[in-house]
Amino acid sequence: MANFFPRWTNWLPLKLSICGIIIVSGLTGATWYYVTPKYTRVGYQPIQPVPFPHDIHVSQLGMDCRYCHSFVDVAAHSNLPNTQTCMACHTQVQKDNPKLEPVRASWKTGQPVEWVQIHRTPDYVYYDHSAHVNRGISCASCHGQVNHMPVVYHAKPHSMAWCLECHRHPENFLRPETQITNLDWKPDWEKPADFVAKYGQPKDATDDWSKKQKLTQKEIGQTLKERWNIKPPLNCQGCHR
Amino acid sequence: MKRVFEHPPEKLTGKRYWRSLSELSDTPEFRGWLEREFPAGAAQLEGDEWSRRGFLKLMGASMAMAGFGLTSCRRPEAHLVPFTKSVEWAIPGKALYYATAMPRRTGGLPLVVTTHDGRPSKIDGNPLHPASGGATDAFAQASILDLYDPARSKRFVEKGEKTEKGRKVENFEARDRATFEKYLADLRTQIAADGGAGLAFLVEEVHSPTRERLRAELVKAYPKMRWCVYDPLLTEAQSFATQLSFGENARLVPRFERADVVLALDCDFLDCGEGDVAGVRAFSSRRRVGEAKDTMNRLYVVENRFTLTGAMADHRLRCPASQIPAFVRALAGKIAVATKDANLGSTIATLTEPAGAMKFDEQWLTECANDLMAKPGASLVLAGAHQPVVVQLMAYAINSALKNVGSTLIVREFVRALRNNSILQLAGEINSGRIKQLFILGGDPVYNAPKGITIDKDTKAPVDWDELQKKVPDVVRLGYFEDATSELSKWHVPAAHYLEAWGDASTSEGAYLAIQPMILPLFGGVSEIEMMNTVLGKPKVEGPELVQETFRATAPPGDFATAWSALLRDGFAAHVVLKDKPPTFNSNNAGGVAHTLWATAPEPTLDAPEIVLTRSYAMDDGRYINNGWLQELPDPITKLTWDNAALMSPVQAKHLGVNTGDLVNIAVTETTKDVHGQPIKRELVIAALVSPGHADNSISVALGYGRKKTGPIGEEAGFNGYLLRTSSNPHYLAVDGKTIESITVTTSPTPALPPAPSTTPGAPSPTPTPASTPNRRLHNLGTYALSITQDHWSIEGRGLVREATVEHYREDPEFVKKIAGDEELPAKLPSIYSHPPLDAEQQWGMSVDLNVCTGCSACIVACQSENNIPIVGKLQVSHGRAMHWLRLDRYYASEKPFNQDRGEYPENPEIVHEPMMCQHCENAPCETVCPVNATVHSEDGLNVMAYNRCIGTRYCANNCPFKVRRFNYFDYNQRPVGKKKIGPLSVYQEYLGPLTEKGAPDTTKLQKNPNVTVRMRGVMEKCTYCVQRIETAKIAAHVHAGASNKTRIPTDSFTSACAQACPTDAIVFGDVKDPESRVSKMKKQDRNYRLLEYLNVNTRTSYLARIRNPNPKMPDANRIAVASLGHESSENGAKAKHDKAAPHPEEKP
Repeated sequence: MANFFPRWTNWLPLKLSICGIIIVSGLTGATWYYVTPKYTRVGYQPIQPVPFPHDIHVSQLGMDCRYCHSFVDVAAHSNLPNTQTCMACHTQVQKDNPKLEPVRASWKTGQPVEWVQIHRTPDYVYYDHSAHVNRGISCASCHGQVNHMPVVYHAKPHSMAWCLECHRHPENFLRPETQITNLDWKPDWEKPADFVAKYGQPKDATDDWSKKQKLTQKEIGQTLKERWNIKPPLNCQGCHR
Repeated sequence: MKRVFEHPPEKLTGKRYWRSLSELSDTPEFRGWLEREFPAGAAQLEGDEWSRRGFLKLMGASMAMAGFGLTSCRRPEAHLVPFTKSVEWAIPGKALYYATAMPRRTGGLPLVVTTHDGRPSKIDGNPLHPASGGATDAFAQASILDLYDPARSKRFVEKGEKTEKGRKVENFEARDRATFEKYLADLRTQIAADGGAGLAFLVEEVHSPTRERLRAELVKAYPKMRWCVYDPLLTEAQSFATQLSFGENARLVPRFERADVVLALDCDFLDCGEGDVAGVRAFSSRRRVGEAKDTMNRLYVVENRFTLTGAMADHRLRCPASQIPAFVRALAGKIAVATKDANLGSTIATLTEPAGAMKFDEQWLTECANDLMAKPGASLVLAGAHQPVVVQLMAYAINSALKNVGSTLIVREFVRALRNNSILQLAGEINSGRIKQLFILGGDPVYNAPKGITIDKDTKAPVDWDELQKKVPDVVRLGYFEDATSELSKWHVPAAHYLEAWGDASTSEGAYLAIQPMILPLFGGVSEIEMMNTVLGKPKVEGPELVQETFRATAPPGDFATAWSALLRDGFAAHVVLKDKPPTFNSNNAGGVAHTLWATAPEPTLDAPEIVLTRSYAMDDGRYINNGWLQELPDPITKLTWDNAALMSPVQAKHLGVNTGDLVNIAVTETTKDVHGQPIKRELVIAALVSPGHADNSISVALGYGRKKTGPIGEEAGFNGYLLRTSSNPHYLAVDGKTIESITVTTSPTPALPPAPSTTPGAPSPTPTPASTPNRRLHNLGTYALSITQDHWSIEGRGLVREATVEHYREDPEFVKKIAGDEELPAKLPSIYSHPPLDAEQQWGMSVDLNVCTGCSACIVACQSENNIPIVGKLQVSHGRAMHWLRLDRYYASEKPFNQDRGEYPENPEIVHEPMMCQHCENAPCETVCPVNATVHSEDGLNVMAYNRCIGTRYCANNCPFKVRRFNYFDYNQRPVGKKKIGPLSVYQEYLGPLTEKGAPDTTKLQKNPNVTVRMRGVMEKCTYCVQRIETAKIAAHVHAGASNKTRIPTDSFTSACAQACPTDAIVFGDVKDPESRVSKMKKQDRNYRLLEYLNVNTRTSYLARIRNPNPKMPDANRIAVASLGHESSENGAKAKHDKAAPHPEEKP
């Protein structure tokens, strides 16, 4: 009886299993790297030329985000403050703090301070800040609680799937237009009677929401979504041109 | 297996549309273009020494090697760099718009320039001013690329001498500005010593009031100086005739909106680059029909070659340019007899019928004259600017007889305080040794001055400009390139672009425009007025002081600072208005001069054809030679890119035994004698191009090509027509016995004189053409590769272009719904693919009115500028890899069957232009075949491309019935395009591919629109309906809405780049769901049709059929505009077929 299997097949199981191990471990390694938050830079906290403490400026001193990021509600880019903006206060306050030396040097020489970029969208993504902050999306939704960060870090993944979470269900994130730069805002803060008086409630809501004890994020979001005609784009052209 | 759709059969007789002679004879090459989306081998890098496959193998290996180093694992650190101090108006990432103007030969063009973070990126017309009305032309659109041209002049150069190997050679040394200014200060004392007796300026025409003011100051300082304006395309004949007929300081302004009948005699007024945008707009306003009862103007054109104007004509007569005087005389005679007008009678009284002149079709002449006379005061006769004085005078006399002067032809008072010298006078003075200091501001006289410009006083033989320039000791040259003129100048000074310097301009009608800089000079360029200011010895100016002083003199009302800011905001000063002059035609002057100058060459023959030197639609006079967008822009008529050619009719070509691409030698023998007493012979070796509709016995050569010493783009592009051009024959050369003895066109070089090295083409190794016809002569000159795109992207299918006469349209307003052969179409089936929900509040669509599309190609360049579309180079174009998202299909229509063997040619075809871009089908065939969903539909009706998903299968392009998708075969945006001899192979290549360093020059990166992705290799792309503009408008509406629900974009508040640039508003873009939008109103017209409707693709772009307005009494009346109706004559055939036509479903928005 002839051999059904040629000689080279003797090593086939071993070869296959080695290949299998390489493929499986490769896949595991790739998954390990690419689906973890590390890939989306969550937690990225580079050393900045000046360790600007957002917590002191926002939480302690009560400065609004737009004092420094002054064009966030008119332009696609949220600008960084000019040296001029820093020096408006720091010619009087903390004017000898050694940490501020790069800012003073910049003011003297005219050479700008080179901040390290933390949040970065790829070149093929066209994100517009003004379209979001004017329509009920808070800074905190994408950047986290910056007002409690002594040094800013990358708080959210900023992947496309993460974008789409909100674009599919904006009601989970919308808040009243006066609370956009209030990064501590909680849905519980809204007084149902006042909220309903100002914004009404969704058409298909059966009960009277102004009588409620508390409003949930979803209820607030649904009301605003309907009232402001919020329809986030879900097609490619919304972000890719 | 590929399912091939059977389009309804094409009829074989009668009038039909065709794109090229090879389509008519159905050559295999044409079948290849028709049947394949991309030609065979398009994926191979040409030259074969670097196949794509081999390259990928190599790259794969290097990638694997790179993997070992794990170099790509760490993310690079990026920096955000804010300003130190806030900049006025600057919001990072937001565009700023400035009003300015482009100085042009015919007057300034008001513009609005978009700047992103301080760098100009897009040019558009200024909608506030009627001279633009928001429209631009191809030159204005493309001029932004010149600003960033890496090859432009960047340094001050002084010419000196050095000794090399014991011989003295010229030495060009880069200097700084201070050294130049010191030199100029020394020169100034020399000039002042003799009151400027040795000083001369040679400048171009730019219509700048500030320059005029500074010139007056110069004359005051140096009273004996000379001022000479020279521009090769600026004609002195016309201004001379105007001054003679209507008095000093007169300029004529045609009023097309008042004209019912227009006759253009070798006059291409629809070419925006030569005429002006306002004129084109006014003409098209009378061409537009909304419904069947509307009237339109009628256009007669007499010309030797197809021009844009000829393509729009209702009646076109082919006539050699040298026979136009005879034609005008015959026409004037008819009108003089009928109107008994004394002025016209006296003007032409003494003009005898020239001997041997062409005989014209009597009926054509009579009926054309009758038609003009039927509309006194509402007709218009225009003579081409380059026609001789006597033609201009007769045209004015005819207009005067027809009572058009003052009605359709306005006489405007243009005060020119000082008179200019001509370049001929200047040449004479240089020759006699009087000129010691010559300032050449702009231009390139060594390249484009007339040949044999003056007679040398010693040798008594004609000399060229370069010889003359060597005789002037101090030549200072302000130039945009270090070119041939710079080489012969003592100093070369880099010129500033008009977007870099302060200035002003007046429009062709005399309005005052401001030119403000958008950016500091990138390479330290100097503007013309700064240079003049320095010559005057005035202190250096940094700001707008020079212009402000001129503006102050115009006496702006109110506070000066407010008026100045208003000027900069609006771009023009409303208070400057020029007066009209009384429209009196001086027939005494005209008659006398006409009598003296009357001369007509005998009719040219096939053996001795006339040579007509024309303006190029892409290069102008040669100033755009290094502009890649314009080089790659297909000529509107011939569809030739990157070159010029000798255009000739099929009959002429057959007589010479040449085909398109064969080199011919044009030899012109003059009557003047050279140093040795031999008649002067000027020669040009140039590739032939067979152009249907060209007059027989005539050859057209576009000027502006073959310029030496520019950048890598312009090098070796085309043939230099200026080599034939003399001052006595600036426009056409015909054997007249007075100045020209003989003209020969041969396919072999003259034995005595080898072809001049300047005209030897840098063609890739000439490929021998097999002798296809027996009468083909032996070719000594060989062939030249021309990149002609007329067959590229040929579409199969029926009813692509539809047209009718205005009479037919009135009889049958629904004619457009019935295409020939539609009874053979299969019934329209429902789509089996699921449709995307088109449920957005606003739905985008486009309409293209073929009736007003002149084919000027401004839209193509506008699209290129807006959407970061790269150029690919000449060879790449010939491989079918051009990247234009928007193309202009040019269709010829003719009746005569084509049979070369029997000597039957389509002699006088009509032309229809059809802009073609992505049609945004609702049932898009491309979407269903994409394996990765890279092309999908959006809910507002756009067929969108996600470049990042595209893996480059090209299935979508293969399935596109309109062939509008473009594939990045190579990294065109990342690699420099230019011609270069590479290595030992000496291969000319434009796209230098992997052999060059990666990365575009920094300056060209500055031009890119930051809102559009710069695509890389391996990605499919196509027209997006300017999705970035849609999204910007949407975001603006949402930001404006804020905490409210008013998110709707206001009707017609933005438009696509092509629609914005279009001078005639032929392209209209907008919301098709909004009944108030312009595009909805266009689509409601009964001329509206969609391409390939029987394929059930439901396109979003639709077209409005072309309507022509022939005169029923003309001999060719029943042949005009019948090709799409599908019958032999225009009478009854149409109706019989139309009855059977199936009704087409209404177009859904």
